[in-house]
Parts: sequence; C-alpha cells; structure tokens
Amino acid sequence: METVNKLPKRRSRFYSSEARVAYICLIPAFLGLIFLTYLPLLGVLGISLTNWTGLKPPEFIGFENYIKLFTSDPYIKDSIITTIYFAVLSVIGSMIYSLFIAMMLNRKIPARSFFRAVFYIPYVLPAVAIYVGWSWLYEGNFGFFNYLLSEIGLNKIHFIADSSYVVPSLSLISVWLSGNLIVIFLAGLQNVPSVYHEAAEMDGANGWQRFRHITLPCMTPIIFYNLLMSLIANLQVVTPALALTNGGPGNSTRFLTYLMYDQAFVNYKIGYACATTLIIFAILSVFTIILFKTSNRWIYNEGGDDK
Amino acid sequence: MSEIAYGRLGSKKRRTRMMNIITVVAVVFFAILAIFPIWWIFRTSLMTNAEIYRYPPALTPDKWLFSNYEKTLEIFKFWKYLWNTMVIIVPSCLAGTFTATLCGYAFARLRFRGKNLIWALCIGSMLLPAMVTLIPLYIGWTRGLGVSDSYWPLILPYFCGGGAFNIFLIRQFIMSIPRELDQAATIDGAGYFRILFSIIMPAIRPAMIVVALFIFIGLWNDLLQQMIYINSSDKYTIALGLTNFRGQLKSDWSMTMAATCLSFAPGVIFYLIGQRYFVEGITLTGLKN
Repeated sequence: METVNKLPKRRSRFYSSEARVAYICLIPAFLGLIFLTYLPLLGVLGISLTNWTGLKPPEFIGFENYIKLFTSDPYIKDSIITTIYFAVLSVIGSMIYSLFIAMMLNRKIPARSFFRAVFYIPYVLPAVAIYVGWSWLYEGNFGFFNYLLSEIGLNKIHFIADSSYVVPSLSLISVWLSGNLIVIFLAGLQNVPSVYHEAAEMDGANGWQRFRHITLPCMTPIIFYNLLMSLIANLQVVTPALALTNGGPGNSTRFLTYLMYDQAFVNYKIGYACATTLIIFAILSVFTIILFKTSNRWIYNEGGDDK
Repeated sequence: MSEIAYGRLGSKKRRTRMMNIITVVAVVFFAILAIFPIWWIFRTSLMTNAEIYRYPPALTPDKWLFSNYEKTLEIFKFWKYLWNTMVIIVPSCLAGTFTATLCGYAFARLRFRGKNLIWALCIGSMLLPAMVTLIPLYIGWTRGLGVSDSYWPLILPYFCGGGAFNIFLIRQFIMSIPRELDQAATIDGAGYFRILFSIIMPAIRPAMIVVALFIFIGLWNDLLQQMIYINSSDKYTIALGLTNFRGQLKSDWSMTMAATCLSFAPGVIFYLIGQRYFVEGITLTGLKN
C-alpha cells in the first residue's frame, strides 16, 4: 500500500493507461463473472420458483418446489445422508492416508521421487476409467477382493451391488485417489523448521510427542486447505453414480448431484431440480462456514502474521 | 563425559537407521498396495476370459494376449475418443491458463477503479460450486443459443479466466514476485504488457503449469457435463466412450479392462513428461494458500 501512495498521482485512475490495460486484461473475467456465474445464479433462483419442465412456458409457483422437497420428496433425505456419509468417510480416510504417506516420504528414503510418483499416479487417471477398473476388483464372484475374502474364509461380498457396502467401497477409491493431497502435505512437511525438531529432541521428546506438538501444529494451515478442498470435491460426488451404479443398488448411491441430474435431465423437472441445486449449495455452504468458523481455534499461525 | 555423549549419539544414530529401514519397508509395502489395482486391471486386460475366472487367480497372465487390445479397438474407438478429448482439453488449457494469467496480473499489479469490487465478485464466485450453475448454463446454451451436441459449452468457459480459483492462484504467485523487477523494466521503458510477457510470465511458469494441470484434470475427470452436452457417438470423449462401452460389454471383463487401460495411458504419459513441473508447482500452490 505504501508504494502506491508514494507514486505520483495520475490524472485520473479511469483513463490512465494502467487502468486501460487492466480492463483489457479483465475482459475475460468480466464475461465469465456475468455470464457464467452471477446470471446463472440468478437463473437458478428464478427457475426454482417455477414449475418449468422445458415443454410449456414456466409458471410462477412460489416456494412450492421447496415445500415439496422438504415434505414429500421420496429421495432427498436419503440422498443428503448418503452424500454426507460418503464425503465424511472419504475426507477422513484420505486425510489420514495422505498425511501418513507424506510423513513417510518426508524421511530420508531412497528413490523418493519414484515413490511419490507411484502414490500420485492414480490422480492423473480419468475418473471413469478408475471406477470401471475398480468395479472389476470389486466384482461379486471373481473380483480380487472376494478372492482375498475367500482366502481368509469369509463370505463373498457384492461390494458394488450391495447397498450396505457400496458407499464405503466407493470411498476407498476416493482415498486411493488422494495423490494430490500427499504432494501438498509433503511440501508442508518439508517446510516445518527442523530446528524445532532438533530442540525437542534435545529436551527428550519422543516421536509421537514431536508429531503431536511440532509437526501437527505447523501443518494446520495446510491441513485446513486440504480439508476444505477435499470436502467440497467429495460433497459434489457424481461420477461413480453416473458411470457405475446409476444411483443404485436401490437408492444407496443417489448422491445429491446425481439426484439433481436425474430430476433435470432424465425427468425434465427443471424447476424442481433448481430447488434441489440450491439445497445442495446450502449444504456445501454450511460445511464451508463451519470449517472457517472453527478454523481460527485450531489453526496455528506462526508469529501471528495474517495472509 | 565425552564418552557418554558419544555413546548416546551412537545409539541415536543406530535408532534413526533402524527407523529409516522400517520406513522404507512400509513405503514399499504401501506403494505396492497403491499400484496393485492398476496392475490387476492391466493383467486382466491380457487374459482370456477362461483365465480370468480361474481359481486361484494368477498374478500374471499365462500368455500376454495383446490381441485383446486389437479386438477391443474394433469396438472401442479409442483414437477417435482421444482426439475428441484433446479437441476439448488443449484449447481449454491454453486459453484458461492465458486468461487466468491476464486477470491475475491485473489484480496483483495494476491500479484501476472498481478493483476491490471486481475482486470481491471473483472471490465470491470461488465459493460457488460448479454444479450450482449447471442447469441455467445448459438452458442458456441449448435454448438461448440453440447449441447442442457441441464442444463449445465445454471449451468456451475456459476463455473466461479459467475459473476464479485459478485467477486467485496466479495472483498470489505474482504478488510474491518482487515489484522492483517490474519497476526496473518500467524505467527501461517497458509497457504493462511487455512487463507481463517478458518478466511476470517467465517468473510464474510453475503456477501457469499447475493451472493448466488443474484444467486438464478437471476436464479429464468430468463426465456429467460431457454427458449433458454431447449426444452423438462420433463426438464421444474417452469418458463417454468408456461409460458406453462398459454398458455394452458388461461381462466381457478382459475387453473392458483393455479399454480401461487404454484410457489410463494418456494420463500416465502426460504425468511422466510433466512430473517435475507438476510436483514443483503443486508444492508451491499448497504453500502459497
């Protein structure tokens, strides 16, 4: 800010060549914000108050869609529960897995970049191929996991075709896909000042104490970032339902985004689907707000500098 | 005194060595677990159907039946799907990265009226998940503009700054570059665009590569949008082609797995080429935010 004040005042900030360049640079963002973000947002709000099906011109029906969603929709309640269940399992699993792997990769091991690549590679494969590929591993009779179960003398499980196993099974795939989190955690770990560890070791702190009182506090900003990113991504889960399960078996993978897709693009209840969209948005916002509100309690801010 | 210190140091050294060996063993174990699904899919793609259902299953195929791939390629038009996918991804990555850089530069370096307001709108849109605007955008494209069965709805959004998150990322990077560099160039008579192209852009190359990677991964993993905008099978992308192929050949696992492996390949190749830049870039991104 200081440098700005020291510079000589321009004739007008509107017509200066600097502002002109800025506006030219921002043309794409202007267009994007208007036509891809804020107008469509108004559109969702507006359409959600109509009974539009795409055939007849829409009629204004007030909050009827919302009332119907909350009182008589057969799917929405289970859908919310399923989505949150999937997201929570996936987020917790991938946070633990990726932090654990990152901590191991942070030690002095040979061929570290090779191992990092191994853990990262699932992330660059196309999602549909991953789900199709895993569906073979999960296959009910001849799949690899059922081979393992039969080896240890347990009954076969229809991982994808059994409504009580399908969500955890899909979550495991999400955990496997967290290569990106590993790389970010690894970067964070390498940034933890080694003097802290050395000092604690001098004072006789053991491995767990050092993890609990040095590594973890120093990592909280990065944990927060990863937590937020993976929560938002997992709450919007839709690809496994589209590629693999079609919301089934039963309604066990009718995730919220899939429910919206089904309402809008299969049943053409566009107004109704827009109301669902806003409910999903509200749920995402609630989670984001909770995370932000509680963050200042557990995020350790070194030297109190704000970013 | 010195003897005790030496002794403690020695045991500590031995303990660290021990720990390192345990870590290596654990890393190898988990790496095998992580790579195993891919191996299992690949080995299935090279087997006969009889071999797939044999008990106990073999870890490697008896004969490496690469002819499965020839058979698969007759139905699964991989090269066409790959081409179609690239027709979407390449322009999106280039345009998204370029426009995000322009916008990030404006927000990080230039002074203009309305900056705070536009920045607030930009940040606000970051909190808006993509699926919220899906239906109105679809209606806008199909009803408003009469576009259907086209790639434009997938590509064109990336000509508009490539998403607020990417703009934010680029801005953070530019802000971390010392201003003295631009000021020196200004004194030498360079204009704002010259500064952007010859000073800023080379300095933020890792960030630009990460933005390109994020756009790539986003499109690569997307199925929902491709499903609603693309109808005809000769416009199918890898994601659509594979979903459809699986529907047709539900029980022919070796061919399905061959198609899966073909779909894996571009991602792996892409990663191996750009590995160094991705890791560097993602590392910096994680730390900057």
